[in-house]
Amino acid sequence: MEEKKLPEVLEKETTRRDFLRGTAAAAGSAIAITAIGGIAPKKAEAQYSVQTAPGTKPFAQKFLYAGRHNCTGCRSCELACSLFHTGNVRPALSRIWVNKYKDIVDVPVICWQCDDAPCIAACPTTPKAIQRDAKTNGIILNEKICLGAKCMKCAEACPAQYIRGNPDTGQPLICDLCGGDPQCVKACHAQSGNPQGPCLMSRPVGLGLNLSFRNVTPDEAGKDLATQLFYPNVEGKRVVAAKTRKGR
Amino acid sequence: MAAPKGGNFGKVLEIDLGKLTYKTRPVSDEILQQYIGGRGLGAYYAVTEYKAGKNPYDEDAFVFLGPGPLAGTMCVSPRTSIVNKNPYTGNLNHAECGAHLASEIKWAGWDGIYIKGRARKPTWFSVVDDKVEFKDASKMWGKTTEVAHEMMVREMKDPLIRTIVIGPAGENGVLYSCLIVERFRAAARSNAGSVFGDKKLKGFAVRGTKYAVPVVDNAKFLAAANVAKEANINNPGAGRRKVWGTAASMETNNFLTGSLIVKNNQTTWWPDVVRLGAEEAERKFWKRHVSCTNCQAHCLKLGVLREGKYTGLVAESPEYESGGLLGTNLGMKKFDEMTALIEACDAYGLDNISTGGVLGFVTEAVEKGALKPSDLDGLKPTWGDGDTYMKLIDKIAYKQGKAGKLLSQGVARISKQIGKGTDAYANTVKGRELAAHDPRGDKPRAYSYCIGPNGADHHEGTNTTSLCQTAMMDSLCLCSFTSMFVWGAQTDKVVTDMINPLCGWNMKTEDFWTAAKRIMTVERVFNVREGVSSKDDRLPKRMYAEKLPEGPKKNSIFTEEDQKKMEATAYGFFGWDAKGIPTEAALKSYGLDYLIADVNAARKKYNL
Repeated sequence: MEEKKLPEVLEKETTRRDFLRGTAAAAGSAIAITAIGGIAPKKAEAQYSVQTAPGTKPFAQKFLYAGRHNCTGCRSCELACSLFHTGNVRPALSRIWVNKYKDIVDVPVICWQCDDAPCIAACPTTPKAIQRDAKTNGIILNEKICLGAKCMKCAEACPAQYIRGNPDTGQPLICDLCGGDPQCVKACHAQSGNPQGPCLMSRPVGLGLNLSFRNVTPDEAGKDLATQLFYPNVEGKRVVAAKTRKGR
Repeated sequence: MAAPKGGNFGKVLEIDLGKLTYKTRPVSDEILQQYIGGRGLGAYYAVTEYKAGKNPYDEDAFVFLGPGPLAGTMCVSPRTSIVNKNPYTGNLNHAECGAHLASEIKWAGWDGIYIKGRARKPTWFSVVDDKVEFKDASKMWGKTTEVAHEMMVREMKDPLIRTIVIGPAGENGVLYSCLIVERFRAAARSNAGSVFGDKKLKGFAVRGTKYAVPVVDNAKFLAAANVAKEANINNPGAGRRKVWGTAASMETNNFLTGSLIVKNNQTTWWPDVVRLGAEEAERKFWKRHVSCTNCQAHCLKLGVLREGKYTGLVAESPEYESGGLLGTNLGMKKFDEMTALIEACDAYGLDNISTGGVLGFVTEAVEKGALKPSDLDGLKPTWGDGDTYMKLIDKIAYKQGKAGKLLSQGVARISKQIGKGTDAYANTVKGRELAAHDPRGDKPRAYSYCIGPNGADHHEGTNTTSLCQTAMMDSLCLCSFTSMFVWGAQTDKVVTDMINPLCGWNMKTEDFWTAAKRIMTVERVFNVREGVSSKDDRLPKRMYAEKLPEGPKKNSIFTEEDQKKMEATAYGFFGWDAKGIPTEAALKSYGLDYLIADVNAARKKYNL
């Protein structure tokens, strides 16, 4: 039943995406990051405060968002995620992870809650072992049906290369949004305090930009960031070595 | 011998490089309760396994890396403590560094890594959970730290693996070489670089996926860890470090406290610090903040140079110590040149502080005629001459030429070798160069330089209370920025509230102080066996002889009265006698009866 609805949703999203293509996003995701960098945190902050106002019932947080340029690589999101899902602090079981690119940038790798969910589409079992929870928008894994390490079609299909295998069971680790209250976002907000503010944010409605974000792999995202921050040394090489140690 | 219930696994990974084997070395809960972990546990190993006068380059000499009980949990900012007998100072020293190494060691299921033996050819090893693999490092040998790090990451095919490596300086046996962790962080003040080099060990890589640190009472522990973290989030001092890192102290120590190191401690006044410090970096250089595991302070600042000779250089610069020693200490005026010096030291695996100290001393010696350019392969260092300093750093790392051989020995040995009154400005404590705080302007810093086991280490605590707190933080392996600095007088309570539900101990706040004194005293006994006494707990001659000529603390001097007061306070607090030797009563009260005979033998040997 879910699958039949998907094309419609996808159609809408595609239109918006095309619109973006025609404007800024065509120039690459690096620019997309810069463009929303200044706006998104403020909006999210407002949303965050509305949601936590006294006496207000919090909205279910249906979308995650990572302002990658704000990540300091502290991994508190990984710790909070694994603690919430397993009761232990063990980042190998975290549903969010921080990729290191050339040791100069950290890239939080998250599930972008794609409307078309290529992971679910790729799941070969009937019924599907991974399904979207209509209420929370999180993706729920049915451990009894999932084929585990020998399949991992979902991981292959994920355009963000976000899905990792559980080292114990071999089954995929996918974000379930903690039932509408993502722990990683809370952890990130608690950690933050650099001039830019937190990296991870969640919202009850989508930002509408997730499709251009999700289509980069962790390494591509790292490259974007490295270019954005460390141009002209986008590879993070140690130039001093080349200048002073000729012939070594 | 009971196994630990929580916080620790009761297993230390023992690596034997001679046989290329590894085994589990069990640790009992009793030992951990007494020595906590990290620095304390390393000191326990050293004092029980070594006899006096042990050669730190012996085949069975060890380097111990401990992550402490709190790493890998929800606790803030774990660090790795590295303990070894230091070939540079001849004493038991410890060094701490941040990044994610400590957490990964714990998630791989180990309470520490104990490395001994000497490999026949260059080696490195990887620790992935229970699996240890020894690998050939011949291709890495001779490579700078960031290249070796990259090669390890590439070979492991895992960008998330955490590494610790030495550079060419360590391989070539430069006495003040260090370990570089994850490219930008250094564990320098135990000078383990040359020990690794002697063991033909380029470094190792760790990744943990299999284990979670066992917690006895999870709910209580999480609540306590949260209290510890909340204190950080709301702390104004921590806010400053978030924005500026430690670099902000360059400006404040110049303009307010008058304790910035300038030109080999000739003065503390260097108005050009505004071109080197935090504000300049923030305006022109810094691009992002980087933090260690679960840390709110993210005090490491990465940036890229976009002008000058070193355009494109990506660097972590300046920290207070590195910017002080390789910036103001050398009379630098150009940010890019200072940054390049810092990066060169990191690339070669040289201790920034000692390297800066050596260069500063040599410049003054040349200025005063004690050294001639002919002694330095024709190089003539003058204040602010970044190019010459860069050439000298290169020579030091490879012990190249006359200059390299001379300078790689460190200030104390150079001064002894050349004489000519250079001891008046050879600024060392226990054979090591001063860090960037001038004790004439910042008198409490003398506690850190003199009483702490490392000697001339800025990070040992500035009074008896903080000496104890630092000993505990280094043994629990927490960063002082996010622990004792923000918890303040509550530190003992915050720690015991966390450690008891984590480990299932019944540690009271008094026990916190006893454990700290025990750790300090164990290290002291080790160093007393090596001949250390109150005669070594002294600042460099210049601090007692020359008044500060200018700056906010103009005319300030460290007097003999200050010295006496400090000795009396510290020795009395720790239960050491007037010569700085732990008394029998004190040893007994800390449960260190097994060291009484050692102390008595040392008293006899050194006539104390």
